[in-house]
Amino acid sequence: MPESPAQEPTEASREPLLETVDLAAGYNGVAAIRGLSLSVGPGEVVALLGPNGAGKTTSLLAMVGLVRPLAGEVRVLGAPLGRRRPHQIARAGVLLVPDDRGIFYGLTVREHLRLAARKADAERETQVLDRFPVLRKLEGRRAGLMSGGEQQMLAIAKALLARPKVLIIDEMSLGLAPKIVQEMLPAIRDLAKEDGIGLVLVEQHIELALSIADRGVILNHGRVVLTGAAGDLLRDRHLVEAAYFGAEQFADTEGTLAG
Amino acid sequence: MSDHSASAPSAQRGLHARELTVRYGGLVANDSVTIDVEPGRVVGLIGPNGAGKTTFVDAVSGFTAAEGEITLDGARIDALPPHERRAAGLSRTWQSGELFGNLSVAENLLVAARTGGWRTLARDIFVRRRRGAGDEVAARALEVVGLDGVADTLARDLTLGQQKLVGVARALAGGAEVLLLDEPAAGLDSMESQAFAARVRSIADSGPGILLIDHDMSLVLGVCDIVTVLEFGKQIFTGTPAEARTDPTVVAAYLGAPVEASHA
Amino acid sequence: MGTFLQFVVLGLGLGSIYIGLGTGLLLVHRATGIINFAQGAMAMWGAYVFAQLRVDGRLVFPIGSIEFARRPTVAVAAVIGLVTAFVLGLVVHYLVFRPVRNAPVLAQVVVSVAVMITLQALVVLRFGANNIDVASILPEGTIHVLDVDLPTREIIMAAIMVVLAAAVWAYLRFTRAGVATRAASENERAAVLMGFSPDRLAAVAQVVAVMIGTISVMLGSSLTGLNPDNYTLLVVPALAVLLVARMESIGVVVVAALLLGAFQSVIGLLVTKSWWPVWAQSGLDQVIPFAVVMVILFVQGKRLPSRGSLQTLRLPDVAIPKLKPIPAVILLVLGVAALSLTTGTYRFGVTTSIIVMLLALSYVVITGYLGQISLAQGAFAGAAGFCLSKVTTEWGVPFPLSLILCALVATALGMLVALPAFRIRGAQLAIITIAAALAIERFVFNNYTLTPPEGNPIADATLLGLNLGVREGRDLSRMAFSLMVLVVAAILVWVFIRVASGDTGRTFLAVRANERAAASSGINVRKTKLIGFAISAFIAGIAGCLIGFSRGQLSAESFTVFAGLQVLAVAYLGGITSVGGAIVAGVLGPLGIVYVLLRGVFDLGEYYPLISGLGLILTAILNPVGIAGATREQVDWVRSKLRRGPAAGPSAETGSAAPRKEPSRV
Repeated sequence: MPESPAQEPTEASREPLLETVDLAAGYNGVAAIRGLSLSVGPGEVVALLGPNGAGKTTSLLAMVGLVRPLAGEVRVLGAPLGRRRPHQIARAGVLLVPDDRGIFYGLTVREHLRLAARKADAERETQVLDRFPVLRKLEGRRAGLMSGGEQQMLAIAKALLARPKVLIIDEMSLGLAPKIVQEMLPAIRDLAKEDGIGLVLVEQHIELALSIADRGVILNHGRVVLTGAAGDLLRDRHLVEAAYFGAEQFADTEGTLAG
Repeated sequence: MSDHSASAPSAQRGLHARELTVRYGGLVANDSVTIDVEPGRVVGLIGPNGAGKTTFVDAVSGFTAAEGEITLDGARIDALPPHERRAAGLSRTWQSGELFGNLSVAENLLVAARTGGWRTLARDIFVRRRRGAGDEVAARALEVVGLDGVADTLARDLTLGQQKLVGVARALAGGAEVLLLDEPAAGLDSMESQAFAARVRSIADSGPGILLIDHDMSLVLGVCDIVTVLEFGKQIFTGTPAEARTDPTVVAAYLGAPVEASHA
Repeated sequence: MGTFLQFVVLGLGLGSIYIGLGTGLLLVHRATGIINFAQGAMAMWGAYVFAQLRVDGRLVFPIGSIEFARRPTVAVAAVIGLVTAFVLGLVVHYLVFRPVRNAPVLAQVVVSVAVMITLQALVVLRFGANNIDVASILPEGTIHVLDVDLPTREIIMAAIMVVLAAAVWAYLRFTRAGVATRAASENERAAVLMGFSPDRLAAVAQVVAVMIGTISVMLGSSLTGLNPDNYTLLVVPALAVLLVARMESIGVVVVAALLLGAFQSVIGLLVTKSWWPVWAQSGLDQVIPFAVVMVILFVQGKRLPSRGSLQTLRLPDVAIPKLKPIPAVILLVLGVAALSLTTGTYRFGVTTSIIVMLLALSYVVITGYLGQISLAQGAFAGAAGFCLSKVTTEWGVPFPLSLILCALVATALGMLVALPAFRIRGAQLAIITIAAALAIERFVFNNYTLTPPEGNPIADATLLGLNLGVREGRDLSRMAFSLMVLVVAAILVWVFIRVASGDTGRTFLAVRANERAAASSGINVRKTKLIGFAISAFIAGIAGCLIGFSRGQLSAESFTVFAGLQVLAVAYLGGITSVGGAIVAGVLGPLGIVYVLLRGVFDLGEYYPLISGLGLILTAILNPVGIAGATREQVDWVRSKLRRGPAAGPSAETGSAAPRKEPSRV
């Protein structure tokens, strides 16, 4: 088992940007995740993985205040979020790109960029658009008329433009061709490293996610079932599969459900 | 209920969706998908998120417009509105449960068993009611899914797992030839999930055909007779669970194809 | 041709007001998802302040007023009027609309209707119910175009409003806050995730909306004078314009508003022609917006966009009623006692309360059980009432039959109004039903060929030789009549409980909870709505007939849209989901027993509309289950305390208790 690396984030010396401490959260008083403790430091990339219904999205929503913790807490730069409202958390620098991409179909690319930065920031805009040059050509286009890949680039670009401290991306690959994802994820990773942004990724493409992440955390049934350095998890693929598919299935592929 | 033990299921019995295509604007959410659900069989429909599984269920049950042909026990149903497809024997559940939260569990089941109308209105006003007439309908449906003691609970007070089961019971209440289950086990823990698998099998053995969508691979691969895999709206695989487990396209669709690790 | 063009231009005045109200409605809907039925009333207040300053130099507040020694100039008065509008917008946003932002649509509709009733009542109290003449702000004169003299005022006014609408358009298009408002209206969660506070954006939108509306009413009132009812109800055609613009496009609002104004004006010209049928002379200005909306809904065929929001709360819960003999007998005995211990106006008040209870019960069916918002219940009642006049005096149909026959007419009307409910729901259905109600009021009730102004007498009911008339000699409120009302009401309540507790009631609740889940359970959603509207309109029709019998004679004023809305107010106040709520509504309702007491004992009758409006605002914000619902919750709470001992609270935790221990594989 990959044991020790999980406890030693790559930048252990620095204070984590975002932490969850023994977090439980859910809907109508019923917890969808329990006992979640994880942290992300500057320039660190954490991949949050697990099958559907495992509680990944709930974890992310709790981090940005859209779901209130039932127990435990979320800390940003060491300070508990408390009763801060979601838009205040966003202004504090924790940005979520939700799985619907959080873009506005009726707005143009230019209007999105306008909204993203509170003050016009030409330097940052150039820097971000250099990473996604295709957006320059689409400035006047409405987001609803763009392809899925272009929309996703816009979603990421507008988040980066706001100079976030922590960027959380939910299922970036949803509905995208694998090729596009394989191009985009490393680009995002590089930007995060450059700017010292803490990056949390929820992904269904496990291989790809682990290939760019520093650490992997695998959830199932609302709990962390496996964590480790991304490289270790990539090598021990059968462990990841076991965490996903349920161990008994792989121990005994046929017998258990005959009746 | 159909009696499938008497004769081998003919090609006409059960649900047959032929080359179903669903478009949302420019996006093809289902691209010519063909699935057969014969009486007594459990057919699994799996695929990564956004592959078009729920769209397929919506199309078959009449909640989304689709091209293609849908027959139930030999009769075309693709032009019928949803409630008539239900009356014809095609029943579905919803991913999010979609129970009537303000009604008790028993009432949720009775809604499906007695669907109202002008004649019902007249009977409500003028005909004396038997006490507890609906109780056995509810009790029977709950027994099939293995829930008891919750008949009088408000649906929204149930746990998510129980709500899913009541959803299945509601789909069965009043009779169903074919059952479409949209992620019935999401939110169940692995123990509950296994118990649920046994329920699904026994429901199918009692007659109806079942189309099962789920992300719990052990559930789907364990319980289904046939598995169909969708990716980006296309049908990339149809075969037995054993074949699915070793099929490289299926594994790639779920876990992603191995990439060159860019790590040091 | 010349006259035609003149009338088109004259219509631009009205069209300009629609621009002001319609632009505001669109802005508020974009920013909050709320359709503000009070837009007209809110815009009217500032214009009244302005007009009163111009008339006699008095600055009127909701309470108290200041008298200026000299009448202020137009500019000063206008600025004061606009400042008033600004404050009103802020106050209404923070005190009223913000608390219900995530409330059920029903609560939002009711709150805005309550604001409308309250402001209208306040205007009547503070400025009087009569028309105020307002001196024109705009230069009068004509310009000579194509051999015709066209009035300049309307043209200037239209130009001003188009410019203002363009300014709002530019705000939404070019400013960061405006772009964020559009963004949030499409995907509020995503806007929040970018750091925008939807509340702040909504406050700005509300204030801008009230101010542009106020300007349009200030300008418009110098053409027509100010009148509390008319300007409050101008929101209805403006809502029609909003639907035409699919709640999205300010450009379409402007064009549709001007076209509608011009069209109404031209219709006003055409009805004076000799070839125009006499029966169709009245109320066409209201029938047109209704017809326009209906046509558009059916031509467009798909659902109008509705604005998503972060979360929605549940509608008040429904406890399925049971027929319990003892409470039923107690209620009946109480009813008989209340009637026999009173005489004259007080007995009449009790009787009216019973009738209003029935009207409230019709809201319980359609809104409480089926979840559809209908603002046309008063019109259903009125249709039955006028039918009763014809049926009893001209055809001599005897008593119980006449009642049922006319209630069936209302039923047919109800099923007609149910048709749009197949396509739309929520606040948009409320728009359609209020437009329908206004159209029926103006086209039928105010139509002298159908309902002669000298009165629509209704013959007293007799049954087996028994005189059931309301008056005889000096007795203004006979016991026989009151008992008849009580018996009819008891039968209807009994029928309601049978239906509500039966299979039909269950299908209603299923449709209310979740239409697509209901359809997938085999329920024919359209037929169910049709049945619900039919039952509801039947009950409203019976109530309308009983109102008719109690007056002995009807006029259009008997069934105004406002009267219907006031009953909605008390129905919601009492609790829209139960018979108990309907009874409370009856007691509190217009002309009911509480009203009679207010008037007779405290001499506060004129404050009744204001009090009911304010009461409704408070209820909808603080206590969405209504008075009866709150009482029931408290009873349940006490019961559960008694049963479980002191530990259990009203909302005992039912969810997961201790987290289970699972072996960690980390």
